[in-house]
Amino acid sequence: MDLFELVNFYVVPGIVLGSIYALGAVGITLIFAILRYAHLAHGDLATLGAFIALAAVTGMGVSPYVALPIAVLGTAAVAVGIDKVFYEHLRERPKIVTVMASLGIALMIRAVVQVVWGVDTQTYSRGIVRPEDYFGIRIRDREIYTLLAMVVLVGVLQLFLTRSKWGKAMRAMSDNPNLALLSGIDNKKVVMLTWVIAGGLCAASGFFLGINTELKAMMGWHMLLPMFAAAILGGVGRVEGAVLGGLIVGIAEELSVLVIPSEYKAAMAFAILLFMLLVRPTGLLKGKVL
Amino acid sequence: MEFAGLVNYALFMAIFICIYALLALGLNIQWGFAGLFNAGIAGFFAVGAYTSAIISTAPADGRIGGFDLHFVIGWIGAMLAAGLVAWPIGKICLRFRSDYLAIATIGIAEIIRLVIKSEPVLTNGARGISGIPRPAGDMGYMESQIAYLIIVLAVLIVAYVLVERQFNAPWGRMMRAIRDDEDAARAMGKNVEFRRLEAFIFGAALMGLGGAMFAHFNRSITPEAIDPMVATFLIWIMLILGGSGNNRGAILGAAVVWIIWSVSEIATDRLPHEYAVQAKYLRLFLIGLMLQLVLRFRPEGLLPEPLRGDQRSTKSGADRH
Amino acid sequence: MSALLSMENLTGGYGEADILQDVSLTVAQDEIVVIVGPNGAGKSTAMKSVFGLLTIRGGKMLFDEDDITGWVPNRIVQRGICYVPQVDNIFREMSIHENLEMGGFLKTGDLSAAYDRVYTLFPDLKERRKTMAGSLSGGQRQMVAMGRALMLDPKLLLLDEPTAGLSPKYMEQIFQICRDVRDTGVAILLVEQHAKQALAFADRGYVLAAGKNRHEGTGADLLADREVAEMFLGG
Repeated sequence: MDLFELVNFYVVPGIVLGSIYALGAVGITLIFAILRYAHLAHGDLATLGAFIALAAVTGMGVSPYVALPIAVLGTAAVAVGIDKVFYEHLRERPKIVTVMASLGIALMIRAVVQVVWGVDTQTYSRGIVRPEDYFGIRIRDREIYTLLAMVVLVGVLQLFLTRSKWGKAMRAMSDNPNLALLSGIDNKKVVMLTWVIAGGLCAASGFFLGINTELKAMMGWHMLLPMFAAAILGGVGRVEGAVLGGLIVGIAEELSVLVIPSEYKAAMAFAILLFMLLVRPTGLLKGKVL
Repeated sequence: MEFAGLVNYALFMAIFICIYALLALGLNIQWGFAGLFNAGIAGFFAVGAYTSAIISTAPADGRIGGFDLHFVIGWIGAMLAAGLVAWPIGKICLRFRSDYLAIATIGIAEIIRLVIKSEPVLTNGARGISGIPRPAGDMGYMESQIAYLIIVLAVLIVAYVLVERQFNAPWGRMMRAIRDDEDAARAMGKNVEFRRLEAFIFGAALMGLGGAMFAHFNRSITPEAIDPMVATFLIWIMLILGGSGNNRGAILGAAVVWIIWSVSEIATDRLPHEYAVQAKYLRLFLIGLMLQLVLRFRPEGLLPEPLRGDQRSTKSGADRH
Repeated sequence: MSALLSMENLTGGYGEADILQDVSLTVAQDEIVVIVGPNGAGKSTAMKSVFGLLTIRGGKMLFDEDDITGWVPNRIVQRGICYVPQVDNIFREMSIHENLEMGGFLKTGDLSAAYDRVYTLFPDLKERRKTMAGSLSGGQRQMVAMGRALMLDPKLLLLDEPTAGLSPKYMEQIFQICRDVRDTGVAILLVEQHAKQALAFADRGYVLAAGKNRHEGTGADLLADREVAEMFLGG
């Protein structure tokens, strides 16, 4: 196999898949670090985002990329709503109770998707898109947009976290929640902000998975493990780590078919997760261990 | 439905309740007593089901086994296999907060699902393994059902007695001490990780046994036999609703939830076809909602954890972490 | 001299047990007051009670002519009392400057005057303003922690064992900073384990034992008191 083949068939799809995982993993890592629990409904929230975009495409006849911001806003609102209605009351209880609640929320979101949109696979647009040839490397437009969108969204998020007052408040809450409260930082607003960001990124993640493959009710659930593996690989609480982790998991999954049967592609994320917990639970960029 | 049909249905329900109660007991060891979050119950269930199937079926072409051994050996094998799968996962994850275990058990259940689908040599692929002998299966239909119910009920009672005894023994006291205040338990020199690993493996073994009893009852096991997420979730809601930390609660929860679940299935099956699919998912939504409501309004469940002597002083502080 | 803070016959604790029994103390403006006492005497608890961190079952607390008994910490911060916990008192993964910014979180408008004030008190911090607080030495961390608390221009600063784990050299430095802070018009109430050194430097002191007032007076008087001396030589 020559180098071009390797890049075209494994590395490019790996980066695309990795970007999709990264978008979800960033939200997971923020929730893990700031709210301090593993959010198991994250994958299904991404599914919901993908289907909200589909509703905009089919209902309003807009192009998928116009539907994306609608899905981002819609899913962010749903995420905030879920927190207010279901998670907020559990805040004083052991965190694991919220983890359990989120498993139930995952089931509920999926049921909503299945009732509203059915169980058949769907797509944003029909027809086959042929890749363009860039000096022998073949890439589809949508693959470029996926990577680009991930870089832009995460870049904006990083600016927000390092430059703005509320972004810093989020970091402070992740760093030392007690001191953040003593400093008068409004916990409720930080929590809400975290959900807006995580929900929005979730929608983007689901949307790009949908545009690069297809939409189905289980799409998000199957991303949950790779997204967690990415967040832990990068280091919990590290946004740039989640991106790095996402890309590594995505590329590793695609490359894995060279050595193991393709049915076990999904096992790569699990292997990476266990390996990191075994040798370096703080992740590559020295994150938290809860 | 005529009388014999009703009796049959009741028997059928009772057998399933016993099997689910066993699974809920297994989860109670992990969650109720050790605070371990297992989100991959279906995986351990499947390992048990297939292991016992391979051990006890007649030899077949194209796959390992069967070994045509007695079903009791199959069931013991199921427990061992499920415990064996739990061991490395627990070993790696139990050093951390239970969130990590939740993720890893979702992962292991997924891997087990992949193996079942892609390794026909072990599992006969999509067709599954059939011809699994049902104990007392050669009697008449009704007699056979009754006999099987007696067997599963006996297993459940034995498991209940053993688990209950362990919980009241020093072992149980130690587990609760670890669950309620890990640091204090550690400071007292308890080997927290090892104790948790024990609980995790024992719980998984019971789940494996539940899987085996399910397979022998159906006389076959296929990858489609259970929906992993739904099965896992049902067992969770059984335990939480029944009362985590209370073995009788786990059994009661299994009965209540299984009856609600089955009766609602009968109801939705009668709907016209175009609504039936949606109704199926609506049921899932409602069961998810039920968990939220129980967690919020009755977190202790129908039968709260009994306050044992060693706990009365610490229990009030246990929920504050 | 009128009191800025006065705690009158305070009884309370965490949960159900009363750790403090009938404790009274006052802090005047421009004054450094230290609470000393053996382990488990309720020193830190007394301080936390000012900040609304425990259940109060008797007595009251007045601050600057307001009755602040039972106020939530957030409101107390806004009223002009800032608290520096003994441990975990900085944001490790944020720069020194960001730590100060978080300290001034509640302030609307320009923070530059507040930064100037803190950086004048702690010139060391100004040079290293971009450094991650977690990479600093113990003494410098204490400065960041105090700086963070001073960002809101409090009238009263509460310090919980600021010199715990510091070398004598740093201890002296922290005490000197406390004097400088006092001279800018901020009263200080602190809890100290190093009783002798603390009494020698503070304006006034209270000796607490078993959750009750035992002695009070100027630092020098308390140091000269034989019973107090025995208490600390013994424990």
